[in-house]
Amino acid sequence: MTMEEEADLAEVMELTPEMKAAVGKPGEPTLYEVTSLGIRTFARAVGYKNPVYFDDDAAKAKGFPAIQAPPGYLGMPVWNPNKTTARQASFESPFKRNLNGGTAVEPLERVFAGDVLEAVTTLTSLEIVPSAAFGQMMIRVSETVYTRKSDRKVVAKTRGTGLSY
Amino acid sequence: MPAAQTWDSVSEGQEFETVEASDSQRLVIWAAASGDFYQIHYDDNFAKNNKLPDIIVHGALKGMWVGKLLDEIAGDDGWVKQWDVSYRGMDIAREDVTIFGKITKKYEQGGEHLIDLEVGVRRKDGSVSTPGTGTVRLKK
Repeated sequence: MTMEEEADLAEVMELTPEMKAAVGKPGEPTLYEVTSLGIRTFARAVGYKNPVYFDDDAAKAKGFPAIQAPPGYLGMPVWNPNKTTARQASFESPFKRNLNGGTAVEPLERVFAGDVLEAVTTLTSLEIVPSAAFGQMMIRVSETVYTRKSDRKVVAKTRGTGLSY
Repeated sequence: MPAAQTWDSVSEGQEFETVEASDSQRLVIWAAASGDFYQIHYDDNFAKNNKLPDIIVHGALKGMWVGKLLDEIAGDDGWVKQWDVSYRGMDIAREDVTIFGKITKKYEQGGEHLIDLEVGVRRKDGSVSTPGTGTVRLKK
């Protein structure tokens, strides 16, 4: 790629007003169900052995109402092919390929099978940066706050970094 | 799997490690657990058609392996306060990786007994694909 072409690309790939407006705007609340099947599948995949993540009796012996979710497991969004939820503010992007750039988790409360969490995601930063591999890439950082519906306690916060190129 | 630690049992510089396998069956179970069904993680032909040498490990699974290591260090009486990781490189499936944590700071704050750790995912060649940090509260 010539310097002129790179300059053209840099001019095209700038944040649009629509992109800038998406930053800081919370998405629609999304429900996440924490089920015993979901917890056990997650714990199995990650390789946990602690019985409180698998065995109701072991969890109840600890004084818990049901099996506990390992740190980082916050259920699955309720899937409904007839209803879509805008989890975060969206915009047209010229970058079509996506990579997971990173994860941060802050567990605040124990989460148990049967909990229903309300997640609200906010795009907190968005930038287009030079990339040796792709010319340019977009970096999106989103933060999600998970609140348990039954007692309105914030049970966890997460931050995700998405890379688009 | 590291044993659960107490505040009195740990010291700065102490290291913990666990080895994780990344066979295709495990990646499929993770796909079901996480809802990430992108085919580069379980479909050999799809991965190769996308110029990958083989299927690759989900970034989020690597992040949760780090969370598990911290949870095992914390034990039932401790608590994982936070962790973060960056996915700096791909890990090819079917190769074992080492999840590691090294205590960088041991301190008391707000009545809690805490350790900070440098954490990550290390490949067989010694390179770290997924560096990060974590904080764990330990039982006194």
